[in-house]
Amino acid sequence: MDYAIQQVLNALSFGAEYALLALGLAIVFSIMGLVNFAHGEIIAAGGYSMFAITSLLTGNPFVVIVGALLVAVLASVLLERVAFRPVRYADASTGLLTAFGVSMILQNLFLLLVSPRPIAITNLYFLNWPIEVAGVQISTLQVFETVTTAIAICLLVVFLKKSSFGIAMRAASLDFEMVRLMGIRANRVVAVAFAVSGLLAGLACIFIMARRGSVDPTFGFNPVLKAFVACVLGGFGSLPGAVLGGFLLGAIEVGMLVLLPQSYGGMKEAFVFGIVALILVWRPDGILSPAVEKGDKL
Amino acid sequence: MSLSAYISRDQRSGLVGSLLLSCLLIAVGLLVVYFGQRYQLRIVYAAYVNLLVVLGLQVFMGNANITNLSHSAFMGIGAYVAAICVTPVKIKAISLPQAPWGLNAFALDPWVSAFIAIAITALLAWLVGLIITRLSGIGATIVSLALLVIVHSIFLHRTDIFKGKQAFFGIPQVFDINSILIISVCAIFVARAFRESHWGIQLRASADDEVGARSMGVNVYRVRLIAWVLGSVFLAVAGISYAYFLGTISARPFYFTHVFLTVAMLILGGMRTVTGAVLGTLLISFGLEGVRYLETGPELLGIKLPELLGLSGIMLGVVIVVTMAFRSSGITGNTEIEQLFNRWRR
Amino acid sequence: MLELHNVRVYHGPIEAVHGLSVSVSEGQCVVLLGPNGAGKTSTLSAIAGVASSRGQITFNGHDLEGLSIEERQRLGIALAPEGRRIFSNLSVRENLLIGAATRTDRPGVASDIDYWFSTFPVLHERSDQAAGTLSGGEQQMLTIARALMSKPRILLLDEPSLGLAPLICKQIFALIDSLKAQGMTILLVEQNVRDALQLADYGYMLNSGNLMSEGDRETLSRQGASMSTLTGINHT
Ligand SMILES: Nc1ncnc2c1ncn2[C@@H]1O[C@H](COP(=O)(O)OP(=O)(O)OP(=O)(O)O)[C@@H](O)[C@H]1O
Ligand SMILES: [Mg+2]
Repeated sequence: MDYAIQQVLNALSFGAEYALLALGLAIVFSIMGLVNFAHGEIIAAGGYSMFAITSLLTGNPFVVIVGALLVAVLASVLLERVAFRPVRYADASTGLLTAFGVSMILQNLFLLLVSPRPIAITNLYFLNWPIEVAGVQISTLQVFETVTTAIAICLLVVFLKKSSFGIAMRAASLDFEMVRLMGIRANRVVAVAFAVSGLLAGLACIFIMARRGSVDPTFGFNPVLKAFVACVLGGFGSLPGAVLGGFLLGAIEVGMLVLLPQSYGGMKEAFVFGIVALILVWRPDGILSPAVEKGDKL
Repeated sequence: MSLSAYISRDQRSGLVGSLLLSCLLIAVGLLVVYFGQRYQLRIVYAAYVNLLVVLGLQVFMGNANITNLSHSAFMGIGAYVAAICVTPVKIKAISLPQAPWGLNAFALDPWVSAFIAIAITALLAWLVGLIITRLSGIGATIVSLALLVIVHSIFLHRTDIFKGKQAFFGIPQVFDINSILIISVCAIFVARAFRESHWGIQLRASADDEVGARSMGVNVYRVRLIAWVLGSVFLAVAGISYAYFLGTISARPFYFTHVFLTVAMLILGGMRTVTGAVLGTLLISFGLEGVRYLETGPELLGIKLPELLGLSGIMLGVVIVVTMAFRSSGITGNTEIEQLFNRWRR
Repeated sequence: MLELHNVRVYHGPIEAVHGLSVSVSEGQCVVLLGPNGAGKTSTLSAIAGVASSRGQITFNGHDLEGLSIEERQRLGIALAPEGRRIFSNLSVRENLLIGAATRTDRPGVASDIDYWFSTFPVLHERSDQAAGTLSGGEQQMLTIARALMSKPRILLLDEPSLGLAPLICKQIFALIDSLKAQGMTILLVEQNVRDALQLADYGYMLNSGNLMSEGDRETLSRQGASMSTLTGINHT
């Protein structure tokens, strides 16, 4: 029983991390059709900013966390201005390849300017300590992660449903040009989408860092790869799909950890991706693929 | 009967273009054979192997306009299958003592091994292609990425077959610069012939307007699958050429770094044309050599430059971003080399 | 108020309109007529900034050259596009709210929404439903209401009667008539020649991107016979 509860928590916390990242990807994609491969480097930027703040300013974890969130948001918005604006109205593959290029540049900049080796950042370890609840050993980090993700998702829903800007963003995911015809500034919609995306990446960064305790140039790569898979699983561009895909992927991963014999540990990824491919054979557009909507063309 | 009774005007034009590109390749090859040192020979060889990869990418990605990122995995499959088949039993007894299915108990001659490697790669590509060709643009890209990860983790995990991170050594070095020259010239003709073929035209039409092509009776899935499998043959040949020249392989070169490198080559040159594939490969291959030199922190004009690890990666990224921002169809756009010459003449 | 001088409209490399001059003055209802593919939608797109164009377009003395879609809207140009393009996953109320995105007077926006709800009680009944579930006629009403929520100075209206039953068409034309009576400036694109000409103060007749004729209601009506052969729409 203990074991089962622990594994469920494991799945939830993995799923939460993927859901945060997948949501960030999906928000940007739904509005401007961009598959942002550089999302992982936003996470890494958050990680490196923790290092910078710790070594230059203070090790106070609160400052470090807020600083990392800020840096992630700024980096995300900045990338849009510099790299993605010229290809905003280009076709999907142009945007995708641009994002690739950006990702390569950033990874190698980290390598060149900081170090190719991992850098330890240990002041977030305090988030992660074991506690006993009703006789079951669990880690606080997993609880934090799940709860924070739940809160973030709720806030996002409220923002999208209630604020006028949120409504505009939902409209933009249906028909961006029509939103501009309503006088809403395209640049602002896109900037907010990237800011939200960066904020979610920053949150994920904090939890990944609390678990891993070090950052290297390819820090964000694996998490974002998973987030992509989560997006595709849920249906690319669908926000509920991103959340669903994230948690589903978390469950599949933990399921693999539990089911696969120890000697196949290294093959976990292969099995996970294989299952995902099978799901896609069943539903090529993902589980909750969004309706392609351009109004009612006659 | 004249030739033109059998082939279309575009195909004739394609033959001329392929000839021109072949001359370029042979000229570079001869230059390095007669004037280059061993080190330069290796660079040119590597460039031509990458040319095979980029041509293989062009066949699918360029004609179908679907970004594919799994190509290095197929190259790896080709290389490993050939390596396992061709490596002498004596060596395999040392390097793969625990290989299953009697993989270490036989050795075949290089031609048969190459043939088997191509067949297995194409077969796997066909199986995967059944899925991938049915997905829409981004879905296909992400699945191709997943494929890369899967294949790589199998290479790493099954050390009893692939030796994982260690080198798989003892492959007979049967290829030299002449072999790769002949192969890449053939590859250019094949890639160009496919582009101008009935299938190639249908595929390009479906890339521009999938619904329209479908309504004209084009079986989009089928032509995509044909291009996908043909592309995988190019990749297998690239892998084999790589293994047969170096004599040792490992899993590392068949992963992300190589994927990015070759995608950048294709994008810079222009993925819609074979000319673009050749141009991009040559420009980046030789351009990067310069950057790599800077990376090591050389002394220039008496100034000792610092070591700049990562510079080549940054340059590649910049090439991609700048190309996408200012000329997303690459240097050549939609124009093949012979069309360019024709335009000049007029 | 709105002046087009020798405007050419492009869709990528294709030139859809080959030098058109149109003039709309304050409070006027001007109609663009022409068969399918004549370039009517292209002309409106050029004014709204959706399609690229050469030539001069001025609005209230502002040269629109180089202005983005949203800047033009903020000058007071509202487009109710062909095919309606409502935000189908958003509720009816949210569609109206988005129409008023550039306004800052919240009470005014609320009272305008109430006004449209009283004008079209159907929209009121469905105010919290997804707009995609509305019927074609209801969607068209929503489109016009959404465009007017921004309190524009000119309304560009693209084929509002497209695909609607005669009875609904009548309602739509009655609405346009009442807008005109309230002094709204309207540039209307229609294939329904007879009804459109009844509303219009002035009209332009296009065919394959060229101006065929222009004139006031009577002039155009007199040419009606030749027009009906062009448009293929029976004019009786
Ligand atoms: N997005 C586009 N890309 C390419 N060509 C276009 C595009 N939109 C319109 N065209 C072409 O421009 C010409 C004019 O089209 P437009 O839509 O302006 O006609 P229209 O008068 O509004 O016709 P309809 O009555 O059918 O709405 C047509 O030949 C059309 O094919
Ligand atoms: Mg039209």
